[in-house]
Amino acid sequence: MSLPGWQALHAELSPQGLTVVTVALDINPDNSRPWIAAAAPTHPSLIDTTHVTDELFGFINVPMAVWIDEQGMLVRPAEQAAVERSPLRDVEIPDNLPDRLHQLLTEVKQIHDPSDDYRAALVDWVANGASSRFVLTPDEVVARSGDRPMDHARAAAAFELGQHLWRTVGNDAAIPWWREAHRLFPDNWTYKRQAWTFVTTPPDATEPDLIQGPNDVYEGNWLDDVLAGGGGANYYRRPDFS
Amino acid sequence: MILDSPVVDAGTFAERTGWVAKPEGLCKAEMCVPAPGADRGDGSLDVGVVADRLRMPLLHDDSYNIWALGPESGGRALASAEAADPELITVDGNPFKLSSLHGRKVLLVAWASW
Repeated sequence: MSLPGWQALHAELSPQGLTVVTVALDINPDNSRPWIAAAAPTHPSLIDTTHVTDELFGFINVPMAVWIDEQGMLVRPAEQAAVERSPLRDVEIPDNLPDRLHQLLTEVKQIHDPSDDYRAALVDWVANGASSRFVLTPDEVVARSGDRPMDHARAAAAFELGQHLWRTVGNDAAIPWWREAHRLFPDNWTYKRQAWTFVTTPPDATEPDLIQGPNDVYEGNWLDDVLAGGGGANYYRRPDFS
Repeated sequence: MILDSPVVDAGTFAERTGWVAKPEGLCKAEMCVPAPGADRGDGSLDVGVVADRLRMPLLHDDSYNIWALGPESGGRALASAEAADPELITVDGNPFKLSSLHGRKVLLVAWASW
């Protein structure tokens, strides 16, 4: 989850003018609270139970982040964010694992790790402000935020309908709308992972299921959808610091 | 935006989407879109007109009779580089606005338990 890493970054750079704000995209806030408690954040730690920040900032997976300057202007749009290397990138995969788990870990290891470049760019921005070479103009921010065709806008509305019904009626009422959101915007992993977790996590589990395997409710699952998208290397919208 | 009828309070709509109803139409930053018929004259907006003019999808759930109005389409995910300022909630349940941090640089990081 890397919350301790973000907290450490806040502690390091807050005296120089950076505030880290973390926002958990969790319809059920009880799922994120234990992680937040464990990280003991001194930075603003938010829970977005309606995924409103997905739509307003363009988050389509986690972790992703935006940079906001002192005047409230975005100087980088939503992009993959990390400041510490995930240990999963370097895990040794035992040969005797079940095939799907072996394949899943193989794809996880292929996920791009931007942590060194991301941290360096962030530190540069904090030190140099608007003159940092990593600051984008307003036009560049908008251009890099990605297209929003009608299908994506419809997916946002369908996902929100599903969320509302999840809260007011129950998970079964949400499913048709979440299926529709997945169909309309297959590259949006927040829509998929949020929905999958409710059907693949056993009722008595103490933590959400992160493997999110095949199930009887949704057509997709994490591994097969990653493979359909070209594998772990294509899993995130990579930050472009060139 | 979830609605129980195809009418929305103009203030609520502006808070959520950034589009403000003005005499010249629906406006966001320096852009205005003419929207005759959208303003109902009582502080509310006709969602059907708004959806049509701003190319926002309007979905209806027949079983529970609710609507969802999606974001504008046809352009970029961000219409402007001005950061949105929704009312968010801290882990302690207190309201929080990103604008409370004006004057500082902010790194807004999305994460999740899943």
